[in-house]
Amino acid sequence: MSSLDMDRYADLFLDEMNEQLQMMDNELLQIEKNGVSETGIQNLFRAAHTLKGSAAAMGYEDVKTLTHEMEQVLDEIRHGRLDMNGQIIEVLFACLDHLQTVHDNLRAGDNTPVPIDNLVSRLRQTLNHAQDQPVERKEHDWRINIAIASSCEMKLARAYLIVHQLSEHARIVQCVPSPDQALDDAEYEHISIACRTSLTEKEIEQLLRSMMDVDQVEIAKADPPPSAPPSSEAGPNREKSAGGEPPAAKTRRKSVSSIRMNVEHLEQMMNLVGELVINQTRINQVQKNLQRKFQSDADVAELGAVSDQVNRVVADLQESMMKARMLPIEHLFNRFPRMVRDLSQNLNKEVELILEGYETELDRTLIEEIGDPLIHLIRNALDHGIESPEERIRKGKPAKGRLMIKAVHEDNQVVITVEDDGAGIDADKIRKSAVRKGLLTAEEAARLTDQDAIQLIFEAGFSTASEVSEISGRGVGMDIVRNDIERLNGLIDIRTKPGEGTQFIIRLPLTLAIITGLLVRIGEQTFILPMSNVAEILRIDAAEIQTVRGEEVIMNRDRVIPLVRLHERLRIETPPSARKKLPIVIVGSAEKRIALLVDDLIGNQDIVIKSLGSFLGKIDYISGATILGDGKVAPILEISDVFKYTGSIRP
Amino acid sequence: MTSSRSQYVQFALGHEHYAIPISEVNEIIRMQEISRIPNVKPYVKGVINLRGNIIPVISLRSLFNMPEDEYTKQTRIIVVHHHDETIGVIVDQIDKVTTFEDIQPPPARFGELNGVNFTGIGINGPSIVGILDLNYVLLKEGEQVEQP
Repeated sequence: MSSLDMDRYADLFLDEMNEQLQMMDNELLQIEKNGVSETGIQNLFRAAHTLKGSAAAMGYEDVKTLTHEMEQVLDEIRHGRLDMNGQIIEVLFACLDHLQTVHDNLRAGDNTPVPIDNLVSRLRQTLNHAQDQPVERKEHDWRINIAIASSCEMKLARAYLIVHQLSEHARIVQCVPSPDQALDDAEYEHISIACRTSLTEKEIEQLLRSMMDVDQVEIAKADPPPSAPPSSEAGPNREKSAGGEPPAAKTRRKSVSSIRMNVEHLEQMMNLVGELVINQTRINQVQKNLQRKFQSDADVAELGAVSDQVNRVVADLQESMMKARMLPIEHLFNRFPRMVRDLSQNLNKEVELILEGYETELDRTLIEEIGDPLIHLIRNALDHGIESPEERIRKGKPAKGRLMIKAVHEDNQVVITVEDDGAGIDADKIRKSAVRKGLLTAEEAARLTDQDAIQLIFEAGFSTASEVSEISGRGVGMDIVRNDIERLNGLIDIRTKPGEGTQFIIRLPLTLAIITGLLVRIGEQTFILPMSNVAEILRIDAAEIQTVRGEEVIMNRDRVIPLVRLHERLRIETPPSARKKLPIVIVGSAEKRIALLVDDLIGNQDIVIKSLGSFLGKIDYISGATILGDGKVAPILEISDVFKYTGSIRP
Repeated sequence: MTSSRSQYVQFALGHEHYAIPISEVNEIIRMQEISRIPNVKPYVKGVINLRGNIIPVISLRSLFNMPEDEYTKQTRIIVVHHHDETIGVIVDQIDKVTTFEDIQPPPARFGELNGVNFTGIGINGPSIVGILDLNYVLLKEGEQVEQP
């Protein structure tokens, strides 16, 4: 392979490696939690085997060696010659961690080998350990399906013989249909036997194949019930009712034909679709202009029809492109079980993690971007939320805490909730802490409602490095979490009850590239408000604007809402409006509302978000821009800045 | 300063003449409608739609603390490529694309400006032209362009 080819394959290999590692991690967790299952071990074995193969092809010797050793151990377990125990699980986890490190290094272009001798010797130890033990063959439960050749003339007799011969080597638990019932010959074409034996799968197959008229043999290990501990005492004395169990259900993966594709191509295509959307808007505009000028012209009417048609195609194309960018959130969720396991072990807490909505799809950039904030919330929940088992028992809660992460689609949004049943947040503690940190005065704090006080955790400077522990503290506070989410045009909300738990609710748009915008005029310029921020649009009399403590406010639905004259914030000179009714857009962030006074409302439209580039840097009140139908550039307003610079905490 | 063969885009700002290496210039376009962006530095005039790309446009006059002049038929935007960013620079007029017979190190001052804004002074017979150091002029965001 040329080096160019190698580079290309390296990416593919790393993608695959990542997937296999993720999968193995999950299987191993399952085994740790629910005990050994045949399919689990098989999956682990296969993944190690696949990885070994591709690592060898790519020339990653260390990966090959390590996966080979893992494969050896798993093979022993698979054949029942070695028992999965806690120690082996730990070693395998350590191997996976190591492989993940290697993966990350390779991804970063770092090819320096990381020593694996230690892991290899630990793996070999587990093997030696097994061989040192007296070779005591383990009994296993098997489910055997036999098809008797249709040419066989005495199927009942044959079935009887098969069962009889097998019973010399195995304890038959059940046989369906049983030869004792002496049913019609035709009933015995397929027989299903449940038995317990120390024979291996191969040996059983050999035995059966050696018999006459046996056409097909299917052998599957009847999995032990999930509650069975994966311990070494799985001896012959253990009671187990394998008889009534259905054959191990094969978890078949849905086969969807798919291709791997470089993300850059996808981004490029998305950009082109964005251009198309913009140009289509312009064609529409031109068509409308023409229609006004030449009302009865047939060609103009034709242009209108074509333009409408193209409109629909572009809309469909846009939707298909968006779908192509969507990934199930599974990709992100898969990282959590392991993380929660390790964290709760570190913290000596017992936590049950419940993940719901694996299949919920969202934009791949969103999946990447939302990872860090979610991890932060999980760390927080484990560290500060869920109490120690002793404390929980003292409070009359189950010793095991519960952390639930759920993703669902709601309208055009994805809603992700992170919920724990821990200690909750005490509004008074937040008030005191905020006063101590100088975020606001004691009087101001006292005036806040509990809900508003709790919102203070999102303020910059609230969580400081000095008071967070090793787990949740990486110098990242909740303000960063909120900023991250708002940067994605999302919203975060919090609900908490002291003693009962805390729930974070994150709402995200399905995609980042195209949003619905509300076009407003300020001065002579058009600005865009993201529709996702807009709570309500109304017109008010100038007389309805009141002043409270020197700030302008309006009343809306019995709430006092601060009024912001946008042109002041944007430093745009605009002649005082002669109109009687003033257009107002009420925008929301979590529970907060702010009324924005604009000069005119123009309408709403799908817009393609474009960055203003790094030369201009971060601009107050502006998040980006878009190109309108007439080719003009319209800035997009950053609503989080409006909230940042308005309200109780002013700069 | 020996590469006297290099080509430069020479332009005028008031009575002074300046130049930018042609290697840093993408294109030169006529003045067009600029959309204002609020809350940016005063020398950033706004953004334009350049064939579907939004690029910021700055006024060199404003950056150099010269009084702003009306835009005329001669006013041009030099679109420069700078550190992966495309930026439009408004100038009074384009003189020509030229080479210099001699390039000398920048003096302490050139016209009203501190010498640090220049990589050198291009000399063609009697005319002298300040060759702008875009790295300094753009990257420092004008803040450190010393005032007279």
